[in-house]
Amino acid sequence: MENKNIHPSERMIGAIARLLKNGERVATGTLSPIPAAGCFLAKYTHAPELELLIYGDPENRLSEGFHELFGLAQQGKIDVFFLSGIQIDQRGSVNLSVLGDYRKPSLRLPGGAGSSMLYAMSGRTILFTNNHNRKLFVPKTDFVNATGFDETGITPWRRGGLSHVVTPLCVMAFDLSRKQIILDYVFPGITVAQVVENTGFDLAVEGREIPTIDPLSETDLATLRGPVQAKMRQAYPLFARTIWGAETASE
Amino acid sequence: MLLGLQAGVHNLPFIPVFGFLDSDYLRIRPDLKILKDPYTGIEYVVVPPIMPDWAVIHATRGDRNGGITTLSTRNDRLLAMASRKTIAVVEELVEPDQVLPGLHEVYVASVHIDAVVLAPGGAHPTGCPGRYDIDAAHMAAYVTAAKDESSFQKYLETYILAPRDHKDYLEKVGFKTNGK
Repeated sequence: MENKNIHPSERMIGAIARLLKNGERVATGTLSPIPAAGCFLAKYTHAPELELLIYGDPENRLSEGFHELFGLAQQGKIDVFFLSGIQIDQRGSVNLSVLGDYRKPSLRLPGGAGSSMLYAMSGRTILFTNNHNRKLFVPKTDFVNATGFDETGITPWRRGGLSHVVTPLCVMAFDLSRKQIILDYVFPGITVAQVVENTGFDLAVEGREIPTIDPLSETDLATLRGPVQAKMRQAYPLFARTIWGAETASE
Repeated sequence: MLLGLQAGVHNLPFIPVFGFLDSDYLRIRPDLKILKDPYTGIEYVVVPPIMPDWAVIHATRGDRNGGITTLSTRNDRLLAMASRKTIAVVEELVEPDQVLPGLHEVYVASVHIDAVVLAPGGAHPTGCPGRYDIDAAHMAAYVTAAKDESSFQKYLETYILAPRDHKDYLEKVGFKTNGK
Protein backbone atom coordinates (compact mmCIF):
# COMPACT_ATOMS: atom_id res chain seq x y z
CA MET A 1 0.00 0.00 0.00
CA GLU A 2 1.59 3.26 -1.03
CA ASN A 3 -0.91 5.09 1.13
CA LYS A 4 -1.47 3.37 4.44
CA ASN A 5 -3.21 6.40 5.94
CA ILE A 6 -6.66 5.08 6.54
CA HIS A 7 -9.53 7.52 6.25
CA PRO A 8 -12.05 7.17 9.13
CA SER A 9 -14.76 6.49 6.55
CA GLU A 10 -12.72 3.56 5.22
CA ARG A 11 -12.67 1.99 8.67
CA MET A 12 -16.44 2.47 8.87
CA ILE A 13 -16.84 0.82 5.47
CA GLY A 14 -14.87 -2.17 6.76
CA ALA A 15 -17.00 -2.34 9.91
CA ILE A 16 -20.22 -2.28 7.89
CA ALA A 17 -18.94 -4.98 5.51
CA ARG A 18 -18.30 -7.27 8.48
CA LEU A 19 -21.87 -6.87 9.69
CA LEU A 20 -23.29 -8.26 6.44
CA LYS A 21 -23.81 -11.98 5.94
CA ASN A 22 -23.54 -13.92 2.72
CA GLY A 23 -26.91 -14.40 1.01
CA GLU A 24 -28.66 -11.45 2.59
CA ARG A 25 -30.62 -8.88 0.59
CA VAL A 26 -29.33 -5.47 1.53
CA ALA A 27 -30.64 -2.06 0.45
CA THR A 28 -29.27 1.45 0.84
CA GLY A 29 -31.16 4.71 0.47
CA THR A 30 -30.16 8.15 -0.77
CA LEU A 31 -27.05 9.88 0.57
CA SER A 32 -25.61 6.65 1.94
CA PRO A 33 -22.13 6.35 0.42
CA ILE A 34 -20.50 4.62 3.41
CA PRO A 35 -23.15 1.87 3.58
CA ALA A 36 -22.98 1.47 -0.21
CA ALA A 37 -19.21 0.99 -0.07
CA GLY A 38 -19.60 -1.41 2.88
CA CYS A 39 -22.04 -3.48 0.83
CA PHE A 40 -19.70 -3.62 -2.17
CA LEU A 41 -16.75 -4.53 0.07
CA ALA A 42 -18.71 -7.37 1.70
CA LYS A 43 -19.77 -8.68 -1.69
CA TYR A 44 -16.22 -8.61 -3.05
CA THR A 45 -14.80 -10.35 0.03
CA HIS A 46 -16.70 -12.71 2.34
CA ALA A 47 -20.24 -12.41 0.97
CA PRO A 48 -20.29 -13.02 -2.80
CA GLU A 49 -23.99 -13.94 -2.76
CA LEU A 50 -25.04 -10.72 -1.08
CA GLU A 51 -27.95 -9.27 -3.05
CA LEU A 52 -27.49 -5.52 -3.32
CA LEU A 53 -30.06 -2.83 -3.96
CA ILE A 54 -27.79 0.21 -3.92
CA TYR A 55 -29.56 3.46 -4.74
CA GLY A 56 -27.45 5.31 -7.33
CA ASP A 57 -25.59 2.23 -8.57
CA PRO A 58 -26.12 2.03 -12.36
CA GLU A 59 -25.99 -1.77 -12.16
CA ASN A 60 -28.83 -1.85 -9.66
CA ARG A 61 -32.01 -2.40 -11.64
CA LEU A 62 -35.30 -2.16 -9.84
CA SER A 63 -38.44 -1.84 -11.92
CA GLU A 64 -39.50 1.56 -10.68
CA GLY A 65 -39.17 4.06 -7.91
CA PHE A 66 -38.79 4.02 -4.16
CA HIS A 67 -42.26 2.62 -3.65
CA GLU A 68 -40.97 -0.66 -5.00
CA LEU A 69 -38.24 -0.79 -2.34
CA PHE A 70 -40.80 0.18 0.31
CA GLY A 71 -43.07 -2.64 -0.85
CA LEU A 72 -40.21 -5.13 -0.60
CA ALA A 73 -39.42 -3.96 2.92
CA GLN A 74 -43.06 -4.21 3.98
CA GLN A 75 -43.20 -7.77 2.67
CA GLY A 76 -40.14 -8.67 4.73
CA LYS A 77 -37.91 -8.98 1.69
CA ILE A 78 -35.20 -6.56 2.83
CA ASP A 79 -32.82 -8.14 5.34
CA VAL A 80 -30.67 -5.10 6.09
CA PHE A 81 -31.20 -1.37 5.64
CA PHE A 82 -29.19 1.69 6.70
CA LEU A 83 -30.27 4.94 8.30
CA SER A 84 -28.63 7.95 9.85
CA GLY A 85 -29.84 11.01 11.72
CA ILE A 86 -28.96 14.39 13.09
CA GLN A 87 -29.64 12.96 16.55
CA ILE A 88 -29.64 9.38 17.79
CA ASP A 89 -30.63 8.49 21.33
CA GLN A 90 -29.90 5.67 23.74
CA ARG A 91 -32.97 3.71 22.62
CA GLY A 92 -31.93 3.99 18.98
CA SER A 93 -34.58 6.51 17.96
CA VAL A 94 -33.50 8.75 15.12
CA ASN A 95 -34.25 12.39 14.40
CA LEU A 96 -34.11 13.52 10.77
CA SER A 97 -36.42 16.53 11.04
CA VAL A 98 -35.53 19.37 13.42
CA LEU A 99 -33.23 20.54 16.18
CA GLY A 100 -35.09 22.24 19.00
CA ASP A 101 -38.83 22.83 19.15
CA TYR A 102 -40.65 21.55 16.06
CA ARG A 103 -42.49 24.85 15.52
CA LYS A 104 -39.44 27.04 16.11
CA PRO A 105 -36.46 24.87 15.24
CA SER A 106 -32.85 26.03 15.21
CA LEU A 107 -32.34 23.72 12.23
CA ARG A 108 -34.82 22.12 9.88
CA LEU A 109 -33.91 19.16 7.68
CA PRO A 110 -35.68 17.51 4.74
CA GLY A 111 -37.33 15.01 7.11
CA GLY A 112 -37.69 11.32 7.69
CA ALA A 113 -38.94 10.10 4.29
CA GLY A 114 -39.57 6.35 4.62
CA SER A 115 -37.39 5.94 7.71
CA SER A 116 -40.24 5.24 10.14
CA MET A 117 -41.47 2.31 8.05
CA LEU A 118 -38.04 1.04 6.93
CA TYR A 119 -36.65 1.01 10.50
CA ALA A 120 -39.63 -1.11 11.53
CA MET A 121 -39.95 -3.38 8.49
CA SER A 122 -36.38 -4.17 7.44
CA GLY A 123 -34.94 -7.31 9.00
CA ARG A 124 -32.39 -5.21 10.80
CA THR A 125 -31.07 -1.69 10.49
CA ILE A 126 -27.54 -0.41 10.83
CA LEU A 127 -27.16 3.27 11.72
CA PHE A 128 -24.13 5.16 10.40
CA THR A 129 -22.91 8.65 11.28
CA ASN A 130 -20.20 10.99 9.97
CA ASN A 131 -19.47 12.30 13.47
CA HIS A 132 -19.38 11.02 16.99
CA ASN A 133 -20.19 13.66 19.58
CA ARG A 134 -22.69 14.62 22.28
CA LYS A 135 -24.73 16.77 19.92
CA LEU A 136 -25.45 13.68 17.84
CA PHE A 137 -25.66 10.97 20.51
CA VAL A 138 -28.18 12.44 22.93
CA PRO A 139 -30.19 10.99 25.85
CA LYS A 140 -33.43 11.81 24.02
CA THR A 141 -33.92 13.11 20.47
CA ASP A 142 -35.75 16.42 19.97
CA PHE A 143 -38.01 14.69 17.46
CA VAL A 144 -38.61 10.99 16.86
CA ASN A 145 -38.97 10.11 13.18
CA ALA A 146 -38.37 6.43 13.68
CA THR A 147 -37.82 4.08 16.58
CA GLY A 148 -35.24 1.31 16.93
CA PHE A 149 -37.54 -1.26 18.53
CA ASP A 150 -41.11 -1.77 19.73
CA GLU A 151 -40.70 -0.30 23.19
CA THR A 152 -44.38 -0.04 24.02
CA GLY A 153 -45.69 -3.11 22.25
CA ILE A 154 -48.04 -1.10 20.03
CA THR A 155 -46.54 -2.22 16.74
CA PRO A 156 -47.02 -6.02 16.61
CA TRP A 157 -46.43 -5.91 12.85
CA ARG A 158 -42.90 -4.68 13.34
CA ARG A 159 -40.32 -7.00 11.71
CA GLY A 160 -36.97 -5.74 12.92
CA GLY A 161 -35.01 -2.81 14.23
CA LEU A 162 -31.64 -1.51 15.29
CA SER A 163 -28.73 -3.91 15.21
CA HIS A 164 -25.59 -1.72 15.16
CA VAL A 165 -24.36 1.86 15.02
CA VAL A 166 -21.16 2.53 13.07
CA THR A 167 -19.35 5.83 13.71
CA PRO A 168 -15.87 7.21 12.92
CA LEU A 169 -14.76 6.05 16.40
CA CYS A 170 -16.37 2.70 17.05
CA VAL A 171 -19.10 0.15 16.51
CA MET A 172 -21.98 0.12 18.96
CA ALA A 173 -24.61 -2.59 19.24
CA PHE A 174 -28.22 -2.59 20.29
CA ASP A 175 -28.66 -4.73 23.41
CA LEU A 176 -32.21 -6.07 23.52
CA SER A 177 -32.05 -7.09 27.19
CA ARG A 178 -30.89 -3.65 28.29
CA LYS A 179 -33.07 -1.99 25.61
CA GLN A 180 -30.26 0.42 24.77
CA ILE A 181 -27.22 1.04 22.61
CA ILE A 182 -24.00 -0.29 24.14
CA LEU A 183 -20.38 -0.02 23.04
CA ASP A 184 -19.27 -3.06 21.03
CA TYR A 185 -15.67 -2.30 19.98
CA VAL A 186 -13.42 0.66 19.26
CA PHE A 187 -11.27 1.27 16.19
CA PRO A 188 -7.44 1.32 16.44
CA GLY A 189 -6.12 4.52 18.01
CA ILE A 190 -9.44 5.21 19.75
CA THR A 191 -9.91 4.75 23.50
CA VAL A 192 -13.07 3.66 25.28
CA ALA A 193 -12.83 6.83 27.38
CA GLN A 194 -12.84 8.92 24.19
CA VAL A 195 -16.06 7.24 23.01
CA VAL A 196 -17.71 7.58 26.42
CA GLU A 197 -16.75 11.24 26.56
CA ASN A 198 -18.28 11.91 23.16
CA THR A 199 -21.54 10.06 23.77
CA GLY A 200 -24.41 11.75 25.57
CA PHE A 201 -25.72 8.58 27.18
CA ASP A 202 -24.41 5.59 29.12
CA LEU A 203 -22.90 2.87 26.89
CA ALA A 204 -22.81 0.18 29.60
CA VAL A 205 -19.03 -0.15 29.47
CA GLU A 206 -18.74 -0.64 33.26
CA GLY A 207 -17.34 -4.10 34.00
CA ARG A 208 -17.15 -5.10 30.33
CA GLU A 209 -13.96 -5.67 28.35
CA ILE A 210 -14.28 -3.53 25.22
CA PRO A 211 -11.93 -4.79 22.49
CA THR A 212 -10.03 -2.73 19.94
CA ILE A 213 -10.68 -4.17 16.48
CA ASP A 214 -9.47 -3.08 13.07
CA PRO A 215 -12.32 -4.09 10.76
CA LEU A 216 -10.17 -3.46 7.69
CA SER A 217 -7.54 -6.13 6.90
CA GLU A 218 -4.79 -5.62 4.31
CA THR A 219 -6.83 -7.55 1.71
CA ASP A 220 -9.97 -5.61 2.63
CA LEU A 221 -8.10 -2.36 2.10
CA ALA A 222 -6.80 -3.49 -1.28
CA THR A 223 -10.30 -4.53 -2.36
CA LEU A 224 -11.75 -1.29 -1.02
CA ARG A 225 -9.26 0.88 -2.89
CA GLY A 226 -9.53 -1.32 -5.99
CA PRO A 227 -12.89 -2.67 -7.23
CA VAL A 228 -14.99 -1.00 -4.52
CA GLN A 229 -13.50 2.38 -5.34
CA ALA A 230 -14.29 1.82 -9.04
CA LYS A 231 -17.94 1.07 -8.19
CA MET A 232 -18.14 4.07 -5.89
CA ARG A 233 -16.86 6.40 -8.61
CA GLN A 234 -20.04 5.55 -10.52
CA ALA A 235 -22.54 5.50 -7.67
CA TYR A 236 -21.08 8.26 -5.46
CA PRO A 237 -18.51 10.26 -7.49
CA LEU A 238 -18.30 13.16 -5.02
CA PHE A 239 -17.74 10.87 -2.03
CA ALA A 240 -15.12 8.88 -3.97
CA ARG A 241 -13.24 12.08 -4.82
CA THR A 242 -13.32 13.18 -1.18
CA ILE A 243 -11.93 9.89 0.13
CA TRP A 244 -9.62 8.77 -2.65
CA GLY A 245 -8.89 11.94 -4.58
CA ALA A 246 -9.32 12.61 -8.28
CA GLU A 247 -9.65 9.54 -10.47
CA THR A 248 -6.40 9.89 -12.44
CA ALA A 249 -4.30 10.28 -9.29
CA SER A 250 -5.45 7.01 -7.75
CA GLU A 251 -5.86 4.63 -10.68
CA MET B 1 -45.97 9.55 1.59
CA LEU B 2 -45.59 7.32 -1.44
CA LEU B 3 -48.56 5.37 -0.13
CA GLY B 4 -50.49 8.66 -0.03
CA LEU B 5 -49.79 8.98 -3.75
CA GLN B 6 -50.76 5.33 -4.20
CA ALA B 7 -54.10 6.12 -2.51
CA GLY B 8 -54.36 9.11 -4.85
CA VAL B 9 -53.84 6.90 -7.89
CA HIS B 10 -56.82 4.76 -6.84
CA ASN B 11 -58.89 7.63 -5.46
CA LEU B 12 -59.07 5.89 -2.07
CA PRO B 13 -60.28 7.91 0.96
CA PHE B 14 -57.25 6.88 3.04
CA ILE B 15 -54.60 4.21 3.23
CA PRO B 16 -53.05 2.37 6.22
CA VAL B 17 -49.28 2.59 6.58
CA PHE B 18 -46.62 0.83 8.62
CA GLY B 19 -44.53 2.99 10.90
CA PHE B 20 -45.43 6.39 12.42
CA LEU B 21 -47.46 4.89 15.30
CA ASP B 22 -44.64 5.29 17.83
CA SER B 23 -43.17 8.45 16.25
CA ASP B 24 -43.55 12.19 16.89
CA TYR B 25 -45.31 12.61 13.54
CA LEU B 26 -48.57 12.04 15.40
CA ARG B 27 -47.87 15.17 17.50
CA ILE B 28 -47.40 17.47 14.50
CA ARG B 29 -49.55 15.99 11.76
CA PRO B 30 -53.27 16.19 12.60
CA ASP B 31 -54.07 14.53 9.28
CA LEU B 32 -52.49 11.28 10.46
CA LYS B 33 -55.14 9.21 12.24
CA ILE B 34 -55.15 5.86 13.99
CA LEU B 35 -57.57 3.21 12.81
CA LYS B 36 -58.25 -0.35 13.92
CA ASP B 37 -57.90 -3.04 11.27
CA PRO B 38 -61.42 -4.54 11.13
CA TYR B 39 -59.98 -7.97 10.37
CA THR B 40 -57.33 -8.27 13.09
CA GLY B 41 -58.11 -5.48 15.55
CA ILE B 42 -54.52 -4.19 15.24
CA GLU B 43 -54.12 -0.41 15.11
CA TYR B 44 -52.46 1.35 12.19
CA VAL B 45 -51.78 4.92 11.20
CA VAL B 46 -53.82 5.94 8.16
CA VAL B 47 -52.94 8.80 5.82
CA PRO B 48 -55.12 10.76 3.41
CA PRO B 49 -54.63 10.41 -0.35
CA ILE B 50 -52.27 12.81 -2.10
CA MET B 51 -53.81 14.11 -5.32
CA PRO B 52 -51.83 17.15 -6.49
CA ASP B 53 -53.64 19.61 -8.76
CA TRP B 54 -50.53 19.72 -10.90
CA ALA B 55 -47.42 17.62 -11.23
CA VAL B 56 -44.43 18.73 -13.27
CA ILE B 57 -42.04 15.93 -14.09
CA HIS B 58 -38.83 15.81 -16.08
CA ALA B 59 -38.94 13.01 -18.63
CA THR B 60 -36.48 11.69 -21.18
CA ARG B 61 -38.64 11.55 -24.33
CA GLY B 62 -42.20 12.15 -25.34
CA ASP B 63 -44.51 12.25 -28.34
CA ARG B 64 -47.16 14.74 -29.42
CA ASN B 65 -49.95 12.58 -27.98
CA GLY B 66 -48.42 12.71 -24.49
CA GLY B 67 -46.81 9.30 -24.18
CA ILE B 68 -43.47 9.63 -22.39
CA THR B 69 -40.56 7.68 -21.00
CA THR B 70 -39.10 8.73 -17.68
CA LEU B 71 -36.43 7.57 -15.23
CA SER B 72 -37.27 4.41 -13.32
CA THR B 73 -35.31 5.45 -10.22
CA ARG B 74 -37.82 8.20 -9.61
CA ASN B 75 -41.49 8.01 -8.68
CA ASP B 76 -42.68 10.10 -11.61
CA ARG B 77 -45.19 7.61 -12.98
CA LEU B 78 -46.85 7.35 -9.59
CA LEU B 79 -46.92 11.14 -9.34
CA ALA B 80 -48.36 11.54 -12.85
CA MET B 81 -51.06 8.96 -12.14
CA ALA B 82 -52.03 10.54 -8.80
CA SER B 83 -52.17 14.14 -10.05
CA ARG B 84 -55.17 15.80 -11.66
CA LYS B 85 -52.95 17.36 -14.33
CA THR B 86 -49.38 16.55 -15.28
CA ILE B 87 -46.89 18.49 -17.36
CA ALA B 88 -43.97 16.47 -18.70
CA VAL B 89 -40.84 18.41 -19.61
CA VAL B 90 -38.96 16.22 -22.09
CA GLU B 91 -35.42 16.04 -23.41
CA GLU B 92 -36.54 14.92 -26.89
CA LEU B 93 -39.70 14.88 -28.95
CA VAL B 94 -40.05 11.61 -30.88
CA GLU B 95 -42.63 9.73 -32.97
CA PRO B 96 -45.17 7.69 -30.93
CA ASP B 97 -43.61 4.36 -31.97
CA GLN B 98 -40.26 5.59 -30.63
CA VAL B 99 -41.44 6.27 -27.08
CA LEU B 100 -39.64 3.17 -25.86
CA PRO B 101 -38.18 2.97 -22.36
CA GLY B 102 -34.43 2.30 -22.36
CA LEU B 103 -32.21 1.22 -19.48
CA HIS B 104 -33.47 2.71 -16.19
CA GLU B 105 -36.59 4.11 -17.83
CA VAL B 106 -40.33 3.42 -17.68
CA TYR B 107 -43.22 4.27 -20.01
CA VAL B 108 -46.07 6.51 -18.87
CA ALA B 109 -49.21 6.39 -21.01
CA SER B 110 -50.54 9.57 -22.59
CA VAL B 111 -53.78 9.33 -20.57
CA HIS B 112 -51.81 10.54 -17.52
CA ILE B 113 -50.04 13.41 -19.31
CA ASP B 114 -51.74 16.72 -20.11
CA ALA B 115 -48.88 18.62 -21.70
CA VAL B 116 -45.49 17.80 -23.14
CA VAL B 117 -42.92 20.59 -23.10
CA LEU B 118 -39.81 20.14 -25.19
CA ALA B 119 -36.84 21.52 -23.25
CA PRO B 120 -33.51 19.77 -23.80
CA GLY B 121 -31.35 20.38 -20.74
CA GLY B 122 -34.52 21.21 -18.82
CA ALA B 123 -33.34 19.50 -15.64
CA HIS B 124 -30.40 21.88 -15.25
CA PRO B 125 -28.84 22.56 -12.73
CA THR B 126 -29.78 19.05 -11.60
CA GLY B 127 -28.81 16.20 -13.89
CA CYS B 128 -30.55 13.85 -16.28
CA PRO B 129 -28.70 10.53 -15.85
CA GLY B 130 -27.14 9.27 -19.06
CA ARG B 131 -27.49 12.66 -20.71
CA TYR B 132 -25.88 15.20 -18.43
CA ASP B 133 -24.61 15.35 -14.86
CA ILE B 134 -25.56 17.65 -12.03
CA ASP B 135 -23.92 21.05 -12.50
CA ALA B 136 -22.23 20.99 -9.10
CA ALA B 137 -20.63 24.42 -9.53
CA HIS B 138 -23.97 26.03 -10.39
CA MET B 139 -25.70 24.26 -7.50
CA ALA B 140 -23.01 25.55 -5.11
CA ALA B 141 -23.42 29.06 -6.52
CA TYR B 142 -27.18 28.82 -6.00
CA VAL B 143 -26.80 27.62 -2.41
CA THR B 144 -24.49 30.55 -1.68
CA ALA B 145 -26.82 33.00 -3.42
CA ALA B 146 -29.86 31.67 -1.52
CA LYS B 147 -28.33 32.60 1.85
CA ASP B 148 -29.55 36.17 1.83
CA GLU B 149 -32.25 38.17 0.12
CA SER B 150 -30.07 40.50 -1.99
CA SER B 151 -27.83 37.79 -3.41
CA PHE B 152 -30.91 35.66 -4.08
CA GLN B 153 -32.52 38.55 -5.98
CA LYS B 154 -29.34 38.91 -7.99
CA TYR B 155 -29.43 35.19 -8.83
CA LEU B 156 -33.08 35.45 -9.88
CA GLU B 157 -32.29 38.45 -12.06
CA THR B 158 -29.27 36.86 -13.72
CA TYR B 159 -30.51 33.35 -14.38
CA ILE B 160 -34.30 33.40 -14.28
CA LEU B 161 -35.57 36.84 -15.27
CA ALA B 162 -32.87 38.06 -17.67
CA PRO B 163 -32.64 35.09 -20.09
CA ARG B 164 -35.03 35.53 -23.04
CA ASP B 165 -35.84 31.83 -23.21
CA HIS B 166 -34.63 28.39 -22.21
CA LYS B 167 -31.93 28.38 -24.88
CA ASP B 168 -30.64 31.71 -23.63
CA TYR B 169 -30.61 30.32 -20.06
CA LEU B 170 -28.58 27.28 -21.15
CA GLU B 171 -26.07 29.52 -22.89
CA LYS B 172 -25.79 31.73 -19.83
CA VAL B 173 -25.06 28.78 -17.50
CA GLY B 174 -22.68 27.17 -20.00
CA PHE B 175 -24.75 23.99 -20.30
CA LYS B 176 -22.96 20.88 -21.59
CA THR B 177 -24.31 17.40 -22.27
CA ASN B 178 -22.34 14.13 -22.02
CA GLY B 179 -21.57 14.35 -25.72
CA LYS B 180 -25.07 13.21 -26.68
